[in-house]
Amino acid sequence: MARMKFLCDAERCIECNACVTACKNENEVPWGVNRRRVITLNDGEPSEKSVSVACMHCTDAPCAAVCPVDCFYTTTDGIVLHDKDLCIGCGYCFYACPFGAPQFPEQAAFGGRGKMDKCTFCAGGPLPDNSDAEYEKYGSNRIAQGKLPACAEMCATKALLAGDGDLVSDIYLKRVMKRSGRPDTWGWQKAYGAGV
Amino acid sequence: MMQRRTAMAAVLLGVAAAMLGGCYQSPTPAMHEPGVYKGKADPLRAKLESDQLQAKLDARFQRAAQDR
Repeated sequence: MARMKFLCDAERCIECNACVTACKNENEVPWGVNRRRVITLNDGEPSEKSVSVACMHCTDAPCAAVCPVDCFYTTTDGIVLHDKDLCIGCGYCFYACPFGAPQFPEQAAFGGRGKMDKCTFCAGGPLPDNSDAEYEKYGSNRIAQGKLPACAEMCATKALLAGDGDLVSDIYLKRVMKRSGRPDTWGWQKAYGAGV
Repeated sequence: MMQRRTAMAAVLLGVAAAMLGGCYQSPTPAMHEPGVYKGKADPLRAKLESDQLQAKLDARFQRAAQDR
């Protein structure tokens, strides 16, 4: 069974923010909520790198582990989704997520945040596929239509890849080999640092 | 007069019964299973089981992710 994953090739990302715009446009995300953001490291320096970040659909999702109402579920393809009817807007998932993916649309009195919203891998939510109700609550369901997330399909430099993890890693590996360098995305040094 | 009293008594009895019924607590507690999804079923989950949709997605990925 496939395991759907995002991967952003930092060597290719040009910080154009087209993925952010595509996501907002495709899903009509409310004002103030960004399901996807482009983060730039060492801005203005020669070592500047940008990566597009959203929900990474973790295999063992920490958001799901801390949810007090158990509103998260994972599809057979590894896409982490949630039921907004159950969400109580407690914000635990926001604190648990290492990518800052969960977003809250409101800032009301007494800490009211509204229902959590996050990237759905363009797979909608627990409502009839491509229904108006699903679109209003969760956004577009491109996966049910046989399409991949809009952000990745829109990426002009093909920096953002979204699909079966095996295919994504194949393409990335080929790119790295072509660049005749070592991938900086993973490896011992990245995980544990030099000298370990 | 007698009929009115009887009706009043019946209404009072009904209210008392309803109030008592509202205080009823089931002796079997609702067990909460932590970590088990409690929401509605997603029809997409069944669709993703099919190899056809997966093949479609993979073909789309190969088309979309390759350099032009």
